[in-house]
This record gives sequence, C-alpha cells and structure tokens, in this order.
Amino acid sequence: MTRLSLEHVSFWYPATDTPALADVSLEVAGGEVVALVGAVGAGASTLLLVAADLAPRVVGGRLEGAVDFRGRGNGEGGRGIVLPTPWTQVSGMAFTVWDEVAFGPANLGWPREQITRHVDRALARLDIAALRAREPATLSGGELQRVIIAGILAMDPALVLFDEPTAELDPAGARMLWRLVRSLAAEGKAVIVATSDLDALPDVADRVVWLEQGRAKKIGPPALLAEDALCAAGLGTAVAVVWRAGGLPRPYPLTVDDAVRLWRHR
Amino acid sequence: MTDALRLERVSFAYGDVTALAEVSFALGPGERAALLGRNGAGKSTLVRLVTGLRRPAAGSIWVEDWDTRDRPPEQLARRVGSMFQYADQQLFARTVRDDVSFGPRALGFAAPEVQQRVGRALAALGLEAHAAHHPYDLPPAFRKLAALAGALALEPRLLVLDEPTAGLDRALRARVASALLERAAAGAALLVVTHDLAFAAETLERALVLDRGRLACDEPLAGLLAAPPRLEPLGLAPPAVAALSRALGLPGAPVREADAARALARVAAGRRAPLD
Repeated sequence: MTRLSLEHVSFWYPATDTPALADVSLEVAGGEVVALVGAVGAGASTLLLVAADLAPRVVGGRLEGAVDFRGRGNGEGGRGIVLPTPWTQVSGMAFTVWDEVAFGPANLGWPREQITRHVDRALARLDIAALRAREPATLSGGELQRVIIAGILAMDPALVLFDEPTAELDPAGARMLWRLVRSLAAEGKAVIVATSDLDALPDVADRVVWLEQGRAKKIGPPALLAEDALCAAGLGTAVAVVWRAGGLPRPYPLTVDDAVRLWRHR
Repeated sequence: MTDALRLERVSFAYGDVTALAEVSFALGPGERAALLGRNGAGKSTLVRLVTGLRRPAAGSIWVEDWDTRDRPPEQLARRVGSMFQYADQQLFARTVRDDVSFGPRALGFAAPEVQQRVGRALAALGLEAHAAHHPYDLPPAFRKLAALAGALALEPRLLVLDEPTAGLDRALRARVASALLERAAAGAALLVVTHDLAFAAETLERALVLDRGRLACDEPLAGLLAAPPRLEPLGLAPPAVAALSRALGLPGAPVREADAARALARVAAGRRAPLD
C-alpha cells in the first residue's frame, strides 16, 4: 500500500536560517488527493520537494524529522513530481513528444514493450496523442505542460506530486487535469497537489493542508476553504470570499451550488 | 487620437501550421484588453509579433505611428513593455534591482531617472524587500513579478503580458491588478494574455478571443463572462464569481468580487429578491 508519512519535518534551504518547512506532520495514503494551499512562500513547493526526495538530496539544505515513503517499487522509488515550470523539466534529449514522454521510462531500464504501452497510455490520458511527432520546442505552454505531466505518469509513480499543474492550461485543460487527478487516486495512487486554483478543490481534494510560513496551520476537508480564517488569509473559494465580503452570516458557502442552497433557505 | 496598437489583417504560420489568420483590432491609450483563447489558439504568437520577435507573414502591426516591420525589438521596447510566459527566461542579472534597471538603462535614461523608474516599478508590485535578492533565490511567483517590474520600469505606452498571474496567489494577483490599473490610468494600453478569467474580470475591460488563429470575438469582457453558453465553444469557462451572480440572479450580473459582494449585500438586505 502506498503511503507517505512526514513526522515533525523541518527543512532549511542552503545558507538560510529560517526554515522553509517547520515541524510539519502529514500522512498521505494511496487513493487520496491532498491539496496544499497557502500564500506564495508558505512552503507548499518545498513540501513537494521533500515528498519527492529531492530536498535535501538534490536541492541541498538540511532536514530534521522523519520522511517515510512506501510505494509499489516502480521506477525510482515510485515518486513523480510535476514542477511549476514545465520548460525547466524538458529532457532536452528528445526530438519528438513521444520520445520526450519515453525519456523517463527508458531511464528506468524498462523493456521496450512496457515503455511503449506506458507512453501511449500517458499520451492518451493527457489528450495529446496528436502531438506525438511534434518537436517539444515548438509546443505552446499548455501543450508542453501536458507533455511533462505525461512523462511523469508514463513512469507509473505510486505517489504523484503536482506543483501548480494548471498554471499553463486553458479552462478545458484545467478541467481535464483535475479529472485526471481524481482518476489517479481512484487507481490507488497517492496525489499531493499544490495549487492556487482554490475553486477547483471542493471537487478534487479529499483533504486540504493550509500552510503558513512553513507550518501546517490546519488540515481538514475542502470545507476549510469556506472558513473565515482561510478567507481572511486569501485562501477561500471565490464564492466564500464574496459571501464574506458581502457581510452575509456564516457559514459561508464553499461552491456556487452551496450558495444557491443557502440562498433559497435564508 | 493615435491608437497605441493596431493590427491590420495579420497572419502568421509556423511552417505549414497557421497560427494567426487575418487578425485585426486596435487598442486606444489606456485601454485594457484581455487576449483569450485555448492553448495553441495563437495568443503567444501574437505577443511575439507585437514585440517584434517575429514578423507577420502578411498584414501589418502598428505601435502608435511605428510599423513594427521597420523596427527591431530593441527599438520597439521604447514603446512596448513585455513579459513572456516563461518569465524565468527574462531574468539574467544578479539582483532583482539590477534586472529591473536593465531596460531603462538600455533606453539611455540618466542614472537618477533609471533609479526613479525602478523604484516606482518595484513599489507598484511590492517588491522592495526583494530588490537585493538574486532572482533565482526567489520562488517562481516572485521571479514573475520581477520580470513584470522590468516591463513596468520602461513605463511604456503599451504593455503586452503573457500569463502574468499563473502560479500567483490571491495577494500577488491583487498586486499585479493594481499595478496594471495604475499604468492604464496613466495612459498605457494593456494587452494581457490570460487563462485566469477571474483576474481578467477584476482588471480588464475588453475581451479579444482567438480561436484557431482567428479573432472570434471582440467585445466588453463583463458581458462575455456573464454568458456561459458563449464561453464554452471558445474554450473558456465562467469564473466562479460570474457563475455565482448568474446562479443567484444578482442584479447587473456582476463579474468582479467587490461588485458581486455589494449586489449580494443589497439583495440580502431585502431591496431586491431574485430567485424567489
């Protein structure tokens, strides 16, 4: 069973005195989607780097506490991360989208037949099969983001980490991505996603982690995003924020549907 | 009055792939336009043409009285400030302040003028505390703001921005919005490529929608956002505030948070009772 556990984790980037993560404890199991929300710099991206075993192993810095990960043993420990800057995640070694997506699986030393199966499936899931022969350098930002995500999924990680995965996507692409996140969880993968697309979370996240200055301030269901404190911190859904700004009483509705129900029963 | 930007039947292709087909529109000084459309609709291509990084295959682009075909990008930069989608690629100096100074310095302004412009740009985006930091020590969101500050410091007549809010939190998006509104109030025209329709609703007034390289729509943004059936075929979706206004039947179909909150408060106080 896939499980990531962070116990009292603190992390310092190299040459810094203030921890980017401070005493964070979090467990994420296969089948779950956990969303990290917070202001820029609150620690969401850092938490993903720690969860991916990139910090401190690749990034440098210092970690205190315990990080434990159990996956299905696929690939490099079975963790995959999608960075917020897709253009920094291109291999630079591939002349076609298909080869780009195959880069990760090929480096896992899989047999050709297995690589082909996983690459084709990932391209289909991201709805980019038509781009398979295109040169990565000629893609639009949104197309490239899909290619990078496909490349991660093609390695079949047990834990998938997304950092602002919809930043470059159009609304239809964002909807596709959020459906994909749910379907990854339905397959038993554990998913952690850092996002500022708060309005998407009620339908996507099982739990929400509110990060502030490196600390996990609150962990709970997506309904957190309608709480007064989160709205005040700029982390409420748009509907909750409007309700609050309009001076209407609590509880604030989380979604448009909630708002309609509340409105009818007022 | 001279248009800040005018496109006349502009077309462009990458090899056999048409990116833009006969696109025409004009922006007046101070006008705030959103350039919308699906991934691959031609938005970023249009930005490259307007900033002079590519030349139209057909048609012409005018920045005030300059034909962009006659001007290299470095000369166009006197009138056009730009920020690209991959803002990281725009930063190269050792500190945010140096990076933001590069543009005004390259335009030949004297040191005190450079300093003032840089100060104004950093202040507009609340970046003063990061001025001495190396751009790559900052989170990507702040690097994006640093690149935007570089464009603002040119104090150009036209600002062309590609996805300025991607990956930004609510507070930073509000900073970008207020900085852009300030520039527009000072007479700069804005052309902003964005998928963030909530930000667009708060900041911009006109919608230019590209669909497979053609200008499919050119109209007031608020009206378009309030009409979901029209958004769908263009690959757009109404932002939550517009959806809320529509679902509750709020008077005036507000699309901005503050307007929606006011309408909601008025209706809740019993002055109007939609839905009942």
